[in-house]
Amino acid sequence: MVEVLRERIMKMKDMVFENLMDSLLPFPMDTKLFSSWTSSLSKNKKTVIYTSYMYQISGILKKYEKLFPKIYRINMPKKLISLSKYMIRPGDSELKRAFNIINNISNLLKKSNVDFGYLYENEPYSGAILLESGFLYEFKKYGEKLRDFFHEKGIEELITIDPHTTNALKRLKELINFDINVVNYLELVNFEGSGEYVIHDSCLYSRAMNMYTTVRKKIDESGIKLDENYLVTSKEMGICCGGPLSLVSNKDSDDISKMRAESLLTVNENVLVMCPLCYENLSQHISSIKDLAEVIS
Amino acid sequence: MDYDWNVSLNRAILNNAPKVDKILRENPYINDIARDLRERKLEVLSDIDTYIKRTEESVKKNGGIFHIARDSAEAMNIVREIIGERTKIVLSKSNVLYEIKLREELSKEGMDVWETDLGEYLVQINNDMPSHLVAPAVHLSKKRISEILNENLDSTINEYTSTEEMVKKVRDFLITKYLSAEVGITGANAVSADTGSILLIENEGNIRMDTVLPSTHIAITGIDKIVPTLKDAFNEVIVQAANAGFYPPTYVNLTSGPSATGDIELQKVTPATGPKEFHVILIDNGRREAMNSDLKESLLCIRCGRCYFSCPAYRLYGKEFGTSPYTGPTGIMWSAIVYKQYDKSEMCMHSGGCSVVCPMQIPIPKIIEKIKFKYTG
Ligand code: SF4
Repeated sequence: MVEVLRERIMKMKDMVFENLMDSLLPFPMDTKLFSSWTSSLSKNKKTVIYTSYMYQISGILKKYEKLFPKIYRINMPKKLISLSKYMIRPGDSELKRAFNIINNISNLLKKSNVDFGYLYENEPYSGAILLESGFLYEFKKYGEKLRDFFHEKGIEELITIDPHTTNALKRLKELINFDINVVNYLELVNFEGSGEYVIHDSCLYSRAMNMYTTVRKKIDESGIKLDENYLVTSKEMGICCGGPLSLVSNKDSDDISKMRAESLLTVNENVLVMCPLCYENLSQHISSIKDLAEVIS
Repeated sequence: MDYDWNVSLNRAILNNAPKVDKILRENPYINDIARDLRERKLEVLSDIDTYIKRTEESVKKNGGIFHIARDSAEAMNIVREIIGERTKIVLSKSNVLYEIKLREELSKEGMDVWETDLGEYLVQINNDMPSHLVAPAVHLSKKRISEILNENLDSTINEYTSTEEMVKKVRDFLITKYLSAEVGITGANAVSADTGSILLIENEGNIRMDTVLPSTHIAITGIDKIVPTLKDAFNEVIVQAANAGFYPPTYVNLTSGPSATGDIELQKVTPATGPKEFHVILIDNGRREAMNSDLKESLLCIRCGRCYFSCPAYRLYGKEFGTSPYTGPTGIMWSAIVYKQYDKSEMCMHSGGCSVVCPMQIPIPKIIEKIKFKYTG
């Protein structure tokens, strides 16, 4: 019998929402470190690249998920929780990989003559986790705070680089008066690449935001060959990497990741993803896996 | 993950999903009529009282008897009253019958009640619940089915018995039930307001028996199944069948009243060979409330079951994803409508394949997002 633990979900909501309203971050994190992938971008542009820290933190989310029940069970004091930003850090190679990906995207944007800056350690988190867990009230409340923050900084356009952030901001446009332009880097860049892969689509890009065909067209034109199988990679039959299920159960989430990985590997042993969370979940079961932004230039 | 479930499900997906895709590619008109049907059903949802009234008038005009039930208890009381002293009942596959716990209740009261759809019959003798709208026994492997039939029907059946032989043994048994049945109870895939007709789609032929052999036919369905015209009703069953992977469907049963003949001087006389009485019971059970809420579009569901196989949560949890019979992506919406159960929505990963394949274009993930909010808000 599957059990949905409401208490765990509600505590998570309270904690994340409180942190977001206090600090624009879902949990304490070393934003100086996470934004140090560049030092050459301007701080004073109306258009900025917006990482929402997704590539930087994807590797430590599972560690937080494990720590979370302890935090709420023993009612850990806030001061102690804030120290976790120094205790829970991505490994050097993880961070290096994340920085390479973001730098590559940044270079692709420059190559496509996009003029943009960066908010560095002041960059806030998008609030995607609230939306994806169904905390609509809190998501809208936080969205208003986020919008006001961007207004204060004079930001008029955000270039997103991952599906979760893109989706969250596009949904804010539906739900509140979020009057900042949102564009995903894949809409702005053209690229080249090589090799043969099976692609694991991000659910949000391909189905929620209807980018399935446009992304494939760009990849096809780049020189990368994609192997397809209706039951595995079609828009209709492709499925999630399991990541969002970790709120209910880490084990169930991993069962989905395993199931997905097994079916992808029947198509090609080299797997391509477009999302840091998909990478994190599937790389537990797939040895040859890359983010699209690692294989294009 | 349950090994048997995984094997059965993968086999079902392999047999079904490419077939549905092929049917829809070869018959593009089906998506066209699906789009039209969506609009027609939305019209009904926006003016339900008018359409219920119109349906009532049409059913009565044809000599049928019309009933409306607020909830399961009311529906069951109407059924009991119609059945009276009779005890031999045959049923055809219907989620609404599960919703109101009809078989369970009537069996408790000592009646001889039999499911006549093969999958439902297996679910019944296994004391189980259906795991899929269209394929209720999809969770049972052939080996497990042979064990169930061995224990409950014929001890000569074993794992080496052919599928054909198993089907024949069940058919032989059910024939005796049809022939002695006094009341046939069915659901309805669609109810046309303009003619008061109900349409039922099937491949096995059991519904045809259930609706003509007993002297009384009771059709029980939700108010959401009303469509404006008979043409819309035909469209609905074609779209449903195609998206379930059965095209052309073997049988489409249309019933617009008790049996009748005009063979003697064209004077209409009823009954003729088929049933003497035809009852239509339309049930609300939360549907009207849902029509006025952000769950409204869930009511467009035509129960084709296509969304199940595109859903990772269903692939993992099976019938635990929802409240049986309302499982799978549509089941999360319908568990919220009918049972006010919201917790299983948290298992949804918003993978989104459900809304891509849904012929009614129901924005399922967005509706489930709202249900999550009902649970945590
Ligand atoms: S929600 Fe759509 S796909 Fe799922 S059963 Fe209903 S009509 Fe079919």
